[in-house]
Amino acid sequence: MSDYKLTPCEKYQAEGREWDRLVVKRKDTTGEETVIGHTQVRKDGVEKVTGTAVYGADINFPGQLYGVCARSPHAHARILSINTDKAKALPGVVTVITGADYPEPYGQFIADQPIIALDKVRYQGEPVAAIAAETEEIARAAAELVEVEYELLPVVNDLEESMKNETLIHEDWSKYECSSACFPVQGTNIGDHFHLCKGDVEKGFEEADLIVESEFRCGQLQHTLIETHTATAAANPYTKELQVWTPNQSPFSIRALMGKIYGVSNEKVRLTMTHIGGGFGGKYEAKCEPIALALSLKCGGRHVKLTYDRHEEFSATVCRSTVQYYMKTGVKKDGTIVANQIKGYWDAGAYVTTNPRVDYNAGFAANGPYEVPNVKIDTYVYMTNRTLGTAYRGFGVTEASTLHEHQMDIIARKLDMDPLELRLKNCLHDGSIGVTGEIISTCAVDECLRAAAANIGWDKLPKRWVDEEGNLCGKGIACFNKLTGTPSTTSCIVKMNENGSIYILSASREMGQGVTTTMPQFAAESLKIDLDKVSVSPVDTHQTPYDKTTTSSRSTFHSGNAILQACEDIKKQLCHLAAIKWKCADEDVVYTAEGNIQHKTDADKCININNVGKSGIMHEQDPVIAIGRYGTSDIFDAPPVDGRQSKRPTVMWMIGAQAAIVKVNPVTGRVKVTKIGAAHDIGKAINPTGCLQQIEGSVVMGLGHAIMEEMIYEDGNLRNGNMVDYKVPTFMDSDIEIKSTLVENGHPEGPFGVKGIGEPGLVPTAACIANAICHACNTDFKSLPIKPEHILFREEAND
Amino acid sequence: MKDIVVNFTLNGRQCKKLVPANKTLLRFLREDMYINSVKEGCNEGECGACTVLLDGHPVNSCLVLAAELEGKTVLTVEGLTDDDRLHPIQEAFIEAGAVQCGYCTPGMIMSAVACLNLYGHPTREQIRKEMEGNICRCTGYTRIADAILLSVEKMDAIVAEQGADVAFRGIDKNFVEKWNASYEVK
Ligand code: FES
Ligand code: FES
Repeated sequence: MSDYKLTPCEKYQAEGREWDRLVVKRKDTTGEETVIGHTQVRKDGVEKVTGTAVYGADINFPGQLYGVCARSPHAHARILSINTDKAKALPGVVTVITGADYPEPYGQFIADQPIIALDKVRYQGEPVAAIAAETEEIARAAAELVEVEYELLPVVNDLEESMKNETLIHEDWSKYECSSACFPVQGTNIGDHFHLCKGDVEKGFEEADLIVESEFRCGQLQHTLIETHTATAAANPYTKELQVWTPNQSPFSIRALMGKIYGVSNEKVRLTMTHIGGGFGGKYEAKCEPIALALSLKCGGRHVKLTYDRHEEFSATVCRSTVQYYMKTGVKKDGTIVANQIKGYWDAGAYVTTNPRVDYNAGFAANGPYEVPNVKIDTYVYMTNRTLGTAYRGFGVTEASTLHEHQMDIIARKLDMDPLELRLKNCLHDGSIGVTGEIISTCAVDECLRAAAANIGWDKLPKRWVDEEGNLCGKGIACFNKLTGTPSTTSCIVKMNENGSIYILSASREMGQGVTTTMPQFAAESLKIDLDKVSVSPVDTHQTPYDKTTTSSRSTFHSGNAILQACEDIKKQLCHLAAIKWKCADEDVVYTAEGNIQHKTDADKCININNVGKSGIMHEQDPVIAIGRYGTSDIFDAPPVDGRQSKRPTVMWMIGAQAAIVKVNPVTGRVKVTKIGAAHDIGKAINPTGCLQQIEGSVVMGLGHAIMEEMIYEDGNLRNGNMVDYKVPTFMDSDIEIKSTLVENGHPEGPFGVKGIGEPGLVPTAACIANAICHACNTDFKSLPIKPEHILFREEAND
Repeated sequence: MKDIVVNFTLNGRQCKKLVPANKTLLRFLREDMYINSVKEGCNEGECGACTVLLDGHPVNSCLVLAAELEGKTVLTVEGLTDDDRLHPIQEAFIEAGAVQCGYCTPGMIMSAVACLNLYGHPTREQIRKEMEGNICRCTGYTRIADAILLSVEKMDAIVAEQGADVAFRGIDKNFVEKWNASYEVK
């Protein structure tokens, strides 16, 4: 394929969608970059369009066994006995394991979850046994033969039930090993608690002219990744070397977890990563990995492949928790907010998993990107007999944004102010005091709000109107700020091959967001080497240097910094090699901005980086290889638990706004989103089309969250655990005019000023659509999704 | 379960295989024919990740039995490339930015081929309708429609340059005609 080159096409991208760039401030970029800031064809494109990209389920080994879980039909029950004799006797079955085989519980924040249920089951679909057999059919048949005697317990179906604390999902939190970042409350269903306090809210409420109280609820969502969870494991029972092939987002944290479960030190655990068929937080937890390993250990180390089907994916992997929020705001007549008090309750499902992190991130975001002198936030993670809540693109901040943006609209209505004006009046600027007492910097909420509004023509539209066909139409706007997980560290190896090409070893995972392309862009820009000459290694914990995780929109920011650092070292090494060849001192050679290795005084002595392979300077010399590191421990001011006040709670705040126009059919209750105006402060667009892809994909995903998607439980039974009944947006829903503005407000610590855009696109989408629907219908819808039945039976707001 | 012999064409190659009567085309293609592009997303006809062309028609291979293959022609993305050269549709998917995680992509591309056989020069509305059965969680779909329009343009340009006889794998200008004719015979 060397005879032709693929080039990005911008032509069709203008049709129905437009985008522009708004440069607010630029830090350490000259605007003369040749690779960065220009759309590049994605490097993983060819393998993905030819079907040659290897995903989790594409891993196969000769003689592999197939794993299947036997699952609990009950949501809450004590296990009285398990009999696996019949399952074991089925020809073709190699092993059957139960919780008793590997009783060590695990969990990132609190070790409350057994690999396979031990004494009781806490959600419908929880594994009670696992089988490895010669074929998947035999394994499934064996799963049916596992006999379990249950004693049914009262089911805690939802938050309201859980908050009574009558039936406890976990009777004794103190039995579990708990990290310092998780705060369960003994004798209750509370698995974690977050508390933030700035100023004095009571005093703030006294000063206010108006007090507004509201509530908002976001329903439970499934990631609905098109690739279900899967893992293939080979675990040597004698040497205790464990290897797993998996499409996971977080290889190093899974490695640590597996090591802990099986009592094996880290270096013996090897995670080999495949392509990921959709992540969005759903492939952050260990799901198939520990069970596949356990099975392999019991099968003499044979490869065991465990793949969940779509039904298991719904009922027994992970989801986005339901949250119920309450908000009380004190505001002056002129719209100045003086106090915000927020209470929030998460329905985390049966095990705590990542919920403390969701609670934490959402906690810092719940006040919104507004300067408010008095803030009090208390949120609680409650356990129920539902499937497990976890990270979902935005880590709780999406839900928090629906809360504060719903409240802002109610305030605007009560004060008879334009919703945009109210937001602009209160939003954070550089120098504002943030919710943790931090002095805010590189903050472009104002610019994002104005740009998002302009992108739908906000000023020229009334709040609500009726179109020619009788549809109720409305506009809505929403903004947010989200932190990235801090502290965190990453590292990379940048090595030059013998022919002068570059290879980057970094554990930042490609899951569609485009790091396979952006990481090489940094190296290409820094060294001025052709982008074609730079590629990224596959990820394997035995070979790739440490990276914390691919979540929190952190990859481009963190890995970019590490790569730039390594490239500086590469330049030095190349100058040194040239000096050897030219028999001069190292100081006599410089690496120029054009990518030339240049003798300072002898102009003829010059090697361009793209010719370095042929130049002979590397021949029989020390190989050119460099390490880059980046971490944020040094800048981090850990927010103490007594109120979370901190001068630097995060290395980077992500900021953005979106505005929507909707049409609501008053007869059918159907909602059509006609237009979305987006504006996101991405710091610097490394690969502009990549940024737009994140925003556009988010908009359609957010549309699903706003009006379609919800997991429905009755008495602990998931009622719509399949893709027929759990509807996600299809091609037919994609007819939305999207106009995006990439706001470039360079971050001083970001590589070329970059911030993150993986999650932000989604954060304000459902909120702005919900607000537009509320305006169109003149109703306060208090929960998402807003379905046709809610619209048909709505009550108009009157004040 | 009985095994059945089937003769069929896969990506232009004649094949003869013994298949269990209850094996789906999806699993048969992946496990017996090593066609990795065909993905399982739901195994119940709802996601389209397993889409292949069966005698030119897009089908969810998870809903078809391999035993029904006798005399039929199967096309997957592996059959679109000409040696090492990408098909204009594949090029267009990359160039229009229609690929993110890529898991839905092979199925999308096969549905796109089917859509082009049906309409030749489809409108966005026709694309949305024809492609409705293919779910993508990453892209928001619009760039996939862009890619299909771009591929039409690419193929038109090649035809303009090389003449109307130039053939593109999977693309059958007379598909609709043949299809209608097959009904008349019955
Ligand atoms: S796997 Fe066939 S349609 Fe989903
Ligand atoms: S690109 Fe990820 S599902 Fe379509």
